[in-house]
Amino acid sequence: MFSFTKKQEVLDISGIKIGGQPGEQPTVLFGGAFFKGIPDFKKTEKDIQNMLDLSKKTGNSSIPDFFIKKEEDVEKIIDFIGNTLPKNQPFSVDIIEPTVKIKVLEQLDKKNLLNRTIYNSIHIGITEKERKALKQHTPDMAIIVAFNPKDKSPDGKIEVLENGAHLTDKGLLAIADELGIKKVLVDTAALAPGDNSGAAISAIPVIKEEYGLPTGCAIHNVVEKSTWLNKYFESAKKTVDVSSNVNIVLFGGDFAIFGPIENADLVFPIIAWQDILVSEYTENYFGVKPAESHPRRKFF
Amino acid sequence: MEKIKTSVVGSYPMDIDTLGIMMDYFDQNENKSWNNYIKTAVDDMVKAGIDILSDGQTRDPFIQLFARKLVGCRIRDRVEVVDKIRYNGPITVYDQKYVRTVIPKNKMLKGVITGPFTLSKSCINMHYNDEKSMAFDFAYALKQEAKKLEKHVDIISIDEPFFSNEMPDYGKELIEIITEKISCPTMLHACGDVSSIIPDLLEMPVDILSHEFKASPYLLDDFRKYSFSKGLCLGSVRSDNQVVESVEEIVKHIRKAIDIFGDKIVQISPDCGQRLLPRENAYEKLRNLVKAGEIINGR
Repeated sequence: MFSFTKKQEVLDISGIKIGGQPGEQPTVLFGGAFFKGIPDFKKTEKDIQNMLDLSKKTGNSSIPDFFIKKEEDVEKIIDFIGNTLPKNQPFSVDIIEPTVKIKVLEQLDKKNLLNRTIYNSIHIGITEKERKALKQHTPDMAIIVAFNPKDKSPDGKIEVLENGAHLTDKGLLAIADELGIKKVLVDTAALAPGDNSGAAISAIPVIKEEYGLPTGCAIHNVVEKSTWLNKYFESAKKTVDVSSNVNIVLFGGDFAIFGPIENADLVFPIIAWQDILVSEYTENYFGVKPAESHPRRKFF
Repeated sequence: MEKIKTSVVGSYPMDIDTLGIMMDYFDQNENKSWNNYIKTAVDDMVKAGIDILSDGQTRDPFIQLFARKLVGCRIRDRVEVVDKIRYNGPITVYDQKYVRTVIPKNKMLKGVITGPFTLSKSCINMHYNDEKSMAFDFAYALKQEAKKLEKHVDIISIDEPFFSNEMPDYGKELIEIITEKISCPTMLHACGDVSSIIPDLLEMPVDILSHEFKASPYLLDDFRKYSFSKGLCLGSVRSDNQVVESVEEIVKHIRKAIDIFGDKIVQISPDCGQRLLPRENAYEKLRNLVKAGEIINGR
């Protein structure tokens, strides 16, 4: 286990803390809702409640991560967020299509939800219209996806944060700053197996040591795309998917975007267990005190 | 008089579809090949009628293009040299091989290598005790690229814009490391004001010299003072100005140069890489260059 020499930021969004030295804060867990693009509100309400209950039990904070794919679903989903989530519960909006992103930002502003919003995500594909919308309707926090098509190594991920790898006018961190987004999380951009997928994990300590920013990724995406796992070990797939998130904690990461919210029952105890192990070591060796909400204080 | 060939210096402007790249990433699709961008650049050159094409250097600016693949370099805001520089396998060879498959057989191909001095001046040195040792290691690494490249291109051009700011006393040695025993013709491209280093340039172990005579027309008179025995690639349209020169203007410029250099002019090209121009303007400049070349060549 290790500790970073660079001062580590601990960011707060509506009472949830993300970041710090390994063993300091519980790993924050993002569970994906409407993963397949079809909003099933009734089921999702139950899943979210279950995830929030798991947070109470383990101490690992939950962030419901809402996939929004179609413009016609925007209002319904934002209404659902406003009406269903507990009053101070932060959430993230996970959107690819720029026009949908803009509409979501407008709606979030209209419903006074931007102070609880984690915008997922800013990346090299950011458009001018999106930038304008983000300036006008600025979320409290954003995830920056450090994907660099020119270089998928940890260095390549730093390059895209620094200068956009000459694919954007400036680095992604500078873009976020220019847009007025003061709290950023770095997603190390997990890739398909065989395409430098391990770099998403190895980049976590590199980026934390370089910037001190909260860092994590959606490493489960790698498992999801594994053809050999699908072909030969289908029954083990979920186990591998869920346990892949352990890598994030072991490498000093601060959050895991763990995939379908339905996996929460399996992910939370595994991550809580890992947080406890890391905390024991880092407290003994580096004197890092676990936060009040840390799983180690819940169970021991 | 041999036909004067039209050529490019290296880079060509290209809009990269970054949103499309991210869509592929989120869908976990394999990234669309960069070949689309290379082909688009090359197609423009072919359509304009250029004789000697490059791969367009669309992947990266010319420093990062090489630093990205060399051991010892890492890219931060600028390129940092953090270890001994070593060759780690082909840098531009695959792109050149690809270009060969998409161009007509009568077209020639120019391999472009960013020069060792320019690389050493553009990087932050965090490893070597002196800049000279770093430049030499760049040269040894680039030599290996040149050896691989010679089998696939018709000419290799070494791009050394920093020579116009400062010609080191070891400049010739650096170029010699790369060009020695290279089987195809070689060229040295140095843009900027090279008037003070002409004697050094004339001593360079290359077949052709390439300079920006259009933006710096006074160079014609400066070169007139020396005996010129190499081939010349005459910069004939500006790369630092979006205004597209007329065919007549380019013809006049070439004729003036012919009065000085005679049949030593073997190529006409833009002054430098066209990366920073709008694509439309870059294309129009090439188109007019070709038309001017046709007039000069008597067609």
